[in-house]
Formats: sequence, C-alpha cells, structure tokens
Amino acid sequence: MILPAIMTCAILALAGIFLARDHRQMNLVCIIQAAAFVFIAVSYILSGQVPARLLAVGSPYFFVDHLGIYEILISAVIFTCAAIYARGYVDGLLASGELEKGSLRLFYIAWALLLPVLAIAFCADNLALFWIAAELTTIISAMLIAILAARENIDAAIKYIFIASTAMLFSFAGFIFLFEISRSVTGTGSLNWTVLLSEASRFPEGMAMAAFVLVFIGFAAKSGIFPFHTWLPEAHAKAPSAVSAVLSGVLLNIGIYGIIRVYAIVHQTAASSTAALLLLIFGLLTVGIAAFSMFPQKNLKKLVAFSSVENMGFILVGLAVSTPLAMFWVIFHILAHSVTKATLFLSAGILHRQYRSRLSSEAVDDIHDVFRYQPLAAWGIIIGGLVIIGMPPFPVFFSKFFILVGLGALSPALLFIMLVLLFIAAVAFGYFTITVFSRTTAPGQSQDLAPYKTPASMKIPVVVLLVLLVVLGIWFMGGEVSIIQNIITELRFS
Amino acid sequence: MIESSLLAEIIKIFFICIIITAACIISSRNLLSVVSAYALQSLTIVLIAISLYLMEGSGVILAIATVTFISKVLIIPYFITTIQEKIRIKRDIQFHFLSPTTSLIISIGLMLLVYIALSRIMAAFPARDTLFFFGSVLGISLMLMGMMVTFSRKRALTKVLGFLSMENGVLLFGLFVTELPFIIEFLIVIDLIILVLLTTILTVGLDSTLEDYHRRLHRFHLVEEPEGTK
Repeated sequence: MILPAIMTCAILALAGIFLARDHRQMNLVCIIQAAAFVFIAVSYILSGQVPARLLAVGSPYFFVDHLGIYEILISAVIFTCAAIYARGYVDGLLASGELEKGSLRLFYIAWALLLPVLAIAFCADNLALFWIAAELTTIISAMLIAILAARENIDAAIKYIFIASTAMLFSFAGFIFLFEISRSVTGTGSLNWTVLLSEASRFPEGMAMAAFVLVFIGFAAKSGIFPFHTWLPEAHAKAPSAVSAVLSGVLLNIGIYGIIRVYAIVHQTAASSTAALLLLIFGLLTVGIAAFSMFPQKNLKKLVAFSSVENMGFILVGLAVSTPLAMFWVIFHILAHSVTKATLFLSAGILHRQYRSRLSSEAVDDIHDVFRYQPLAAWGIIIGGLVIIGMPPFPVFFSKFFILVGLGALSPALLFIMLVLLFIAAVAFGYFTITVFSRTTAPGQSQDLAPYKTPASMKIPVVVLLVLLVVLGIWFMGGEVSIIQNIITELRFS
Repeated sequence: MIESSLLAEIIKIFFICIIITAACIISSRNLLSVVSAYALQSLTIVLIAISLYLMEGSGVILAIATVTFISKVLIIPYFITTIQEKIRIKRDIQFHFLSPTTSLIISIGLMLLVYIALSRIMAAFPARDTLFFFGSVLGISLMLMGMMVTFSRKRALTKVLGFLSMENGVLLFGLFVTELPFIIEFLIVIDLIILVLLTTILTVGLDSTLEDYHRRLHRFHLVEEPEGTK
C-alpha cells in the first residue's frame, strides 16, 4: 500500500511542522520523514513485490515498478542527507539574516511537501497525473529558491517557473496526443503507462513521433537540456545549498524520468530511430554548451550547476544509444550523478558559510586558504570533482566509459566529439579547483577571517555521501545489478 | 435541440473571437485590457465547450465548461486585477525582442506552420471532420502565441497572462482532439491556480521594494510575524 504510506508520511510531517515550536523540531520532522521514505522504498524492494499491481498500490492510476522505486530510493537518500545538513545550514542562514525567521515554517512546509509529491510522481502510472505531480514539484521547489527573499532569488525562481511550466504545457499537449493515439488503436483511450507500453507496437509512426517531440520539450526544460537550460545555473547557484543539492540530485531526475518513460513507449514503435536521433542531437548540444560555459565560471555553485547540465546531456546521449548495456549504465549514471551532485553542493554550502560569499550567481567566490579553514569541504569538492569528471575507480567512470563504448559503436566520429567535450568540462573543473584551492595567504595576513565552526550536522552528510560514492564505485551490490536489470526489462529495452 | 450544422457554424465564429482576443493579448500595452482579453478568451472557450456539449451531449465537456468558467473567467482574472491594483502598474510598454506588429505577423506565420504540420500528422487518423481539425490547429497556435507573449513581455504579470493564454490553448486542443477524463482536467485547473498565486505573489516582490514586499506578505499572512512583534 504505497499510496496510503506516502500520504500518511506527508500528513504526519505537515502536522509535525505546524506543531513544532522551533527550527530544530521542524528539521527533525523533515529528517524523520525522509528516513521513513528510505524505509518504504527499501521495504518494497526487499519484499520482492515489485512491480506491484493494484492491491499493493491502492489505485488504478498508480503503480510501483523498479524504476519508480529506484528513483524514490535515490530521492529519499538525498533528502535525508540534505535534511540533516539543513539543521546546521539553516541555523547559519538565520544567524546571518539571509533567511528571515518568519519564513522558516514556510520553508519547512515546502520541504516536507516536496518529497511526497516526488514520490507520487514516481508512482504515477497515469501520465497526466505524473505531469501534474511534476508541475507541483516545479512550484514547490521555486518556493524553496525564492524563500531567501533577495531580489535575485525571486528573479531566478520566476525564470524557473516560466521556462519549466511553459515547456511543460507542450508535454501535456503531447500526452493528449498519446491519449488520442491509444484511443484510436484500442478503442478506449488510456494514459496509463503500462497500457501504452503494451499497445505501443501498434502506434502509427508520425503520431508517436509528434507526441514524443512535444513531451520531450517539457521534460527537457525540467531537466535543464539545451536550449531550455538557462534557468538551471541561476536557480541552482542562488538557492540555499541544501536546496541546491535536492534540486540537482533529485529534481533533475524527474525530467529525465519522464523522458525515459515516454522514450520507452516510442522505442516500441517505428519512430524509435528518429526519436533516438533527436535525443542524440540535443544530448550532444547540451554537453557542448555546458562544457564551454563551465570554462569562464568564477562561482563554484554555478560551475557545479553547469556540470549538472552537462550530465543531463550525457544521459540523453546514453538513452539515444539505447542498447541494453547503455541503458544499464544510464540508469546507473542517474544514481551516481545524484549522489555526486549532492556531495558537491553540500560541500560548496560549507565554503559559502565560511567565506560569506553572497548566494549569487554573479559573485566571484573569494576562497583562500581552504585547507586551513575547511579541509572537509575542500576534500568534498576535490573528490566530488574527480568523480563527476569520470575518474576511476569512482562510479561515474564506469557509466561514462560504457556509454561512450556504446556511442563509439554507433559512430566513432561522435565518440571523438564527445570525448573532446568531456575533456573540456573536466579541464574546466580541474582548473577552477586548482586555482581557487591553491590560493593561500601568509599565516599572519588573514586574521580578519574567523574560522567557521562547521556543525557536525553539516559534516556528517558530506562524509556519508563521500563514503557512499567510494562504495558505489568499488563494490557492485548484487541487488543493485538485479534492480537495474529489472528496470531495463520492464522498460522493454532488453 | 439546435441543429449540429448550425452549432458548427457558431463554433467557427467563436474561433474568430479567440484569434481576436489572442491578438489583443499580444499587442495591448494596457495591462487591464490584457486581463479582460484573457477573461473574454476563457469565456469564449466556455461557450465553445457548451456548444460541443449540445452537439455531442457528453457530460464531461459540460463539467469542464463549468470548472473553466469558475476558475478562468471569475477567479484568476479577479485575482490578477486585485494584485495589479496593489502594485499600481497600469501599463506594460516594454517589449523584449519583438514589437507588437512583428509579433502579430509572426503569429500568422505560426498558425500557417501549425496548420501544415498538423494536417500531415493528423492524416494518420481516421477521417475527422474539419471543425475538429481547425480546433486543434487553433489550440496549438494559441499555445505558441501565448509562449511568445511570455517571452517577449517584460513585466512578470504580463508573462503570467501569456502563460495562462497558453494553457487556454492546451484546453482548446484537448477539447477538440480527444476527451480526457474529467479528474485530470480538474487537477490541471488546481495546478494552474496554485501557479498563478505563486507567480503573482513573487511578481509583487519583483515590482516593489523588498521591505514593501515583506510588509505585504505579512498582511496576506504568508509569513509569520517575527517573535515579539505579535
């Protein structure tokens, strides 16, 4: 009964936040809620009842399959880390006056709503319900960005809402198309993904492609694909770091998830190769734009945000290859990217508190003597950076390697271009880290900067995520492999 | 009972009305008239839905018409007008990339493009009559025109209206292409209302100074009073 479980968690959490008297209690409620979601996801996976049918779900509009539960698990883990981190981080924001005390409850209400809405999106069998949940995540996360009530934040939030929502309307038109296709093929229209997938082989090519293009526009905007990526760097750079981690590690996934679902349907039709070409073109363009935008960046969070854009593009390229092997590593890349981005943003948040840089996308980070002041955050950025540029033995290396192998089999020229672009992105990241982190002042000179005492609640999530990254890279759990293989079978890519 | 051929003619007249309101939204510099054009556009869609109900007798369409009337003809325009009075912006004379005339010419081009594209795609369908085809062409065109407003206007409030007009396009498209379950249409309206609420509240933040903004938020009880001032 996943739906009642999600609803109960959401209602209890909201009630808890309303009753809570201070920041610590509100934060505790959010941590418990996220942990409860981890528990729900793990218990579903262990129960072996996935894909669950009606009885275990509670409604014909919803279902649970391996992809959904996998995404919920990733989201819940990132949320748990980010919520623990928020304990110390939000205290800092309150102390510095960046977050007003009056907005605190609103912040935690939005936070506590976001995870249940995400879970509902990942459980929705009906694509229109998925669309609505995805729209709600845009609205709620825009609130989390605007909460700091600096003009720049409101600006970024409005830009995010407008770009994502206008594009998502195209997706909805695409779903209307899908509904009509299924009605003309089966007689009774349905927007249930399971029904659409089973009937997909009978869908006419032109209509399926038109539906895919429309749906792609919306979810591309949601996941920051070129040319709709412009909101992403600003929103991710200006949001509070705990929120940035969630935005990048969880919310981008929802766009990719939507694209994967609809691509799985189109993959069964004659339009499959045209759709793959579309994904390939936009994937390459996105990686290219992101790689070249990373170079001139002087702001750490914006650099990390552009790296998210790059990775989303890379996932599209992996989807375009669409062999079972590439699909396996695409699904794995989603996990690896989420964990890495959470690590990077949480570490960047510690540096932000230390150096008091404004939460702005234009401000140049004034970082120096980083190993003296914040060694953990520095190592978080360095290791996270090594992971995201694809160094062995970290997890992203494997996903990048195997997707590139697939791309090479498709076209050696494209492989070459891709390698160059990835190299540029890696150099940009490395250049930034080396120049910024090697900046030192003589011991006597920087008396004005008091070391920021990072609370344990901000350190623990970074350490946990770093350990998780290393574990993911060197140890492939049997369960992990079988879940991803099940996902590919259920998406009918095998 | 009215004859369905007559109803089809009436619907065609309503199509013209929608194009006129869309042109108004694109070109008008006066914010109030943009809001009324939007309300009128929504009303026209309600009338189209009622005519469709008379033709086909489907209860779902009538329900959609009711929800649309309440939300898009009454609530949303009222809300936007109120906000607009609060922030005292009457005119939106700044256009980003496109002047109104260029926008109008581009929208004509867009409609032609949509017509050509859809006539190719729809060829796969079992013969649908021309009314439904025109309805879907107009729906998609309205979406594109709304998008143009969203990206060419400078004031966030006008952008909201562009977005709303896009959503009208989706509704029109949905009405003519297929019949979605009512619950979904209803949820979309809820989603839309939340979205409009949030964006307009944020808009107030953009168009006034921050201290002012916080005072207003307090007045609307959106944030709590700081401890000690209660």
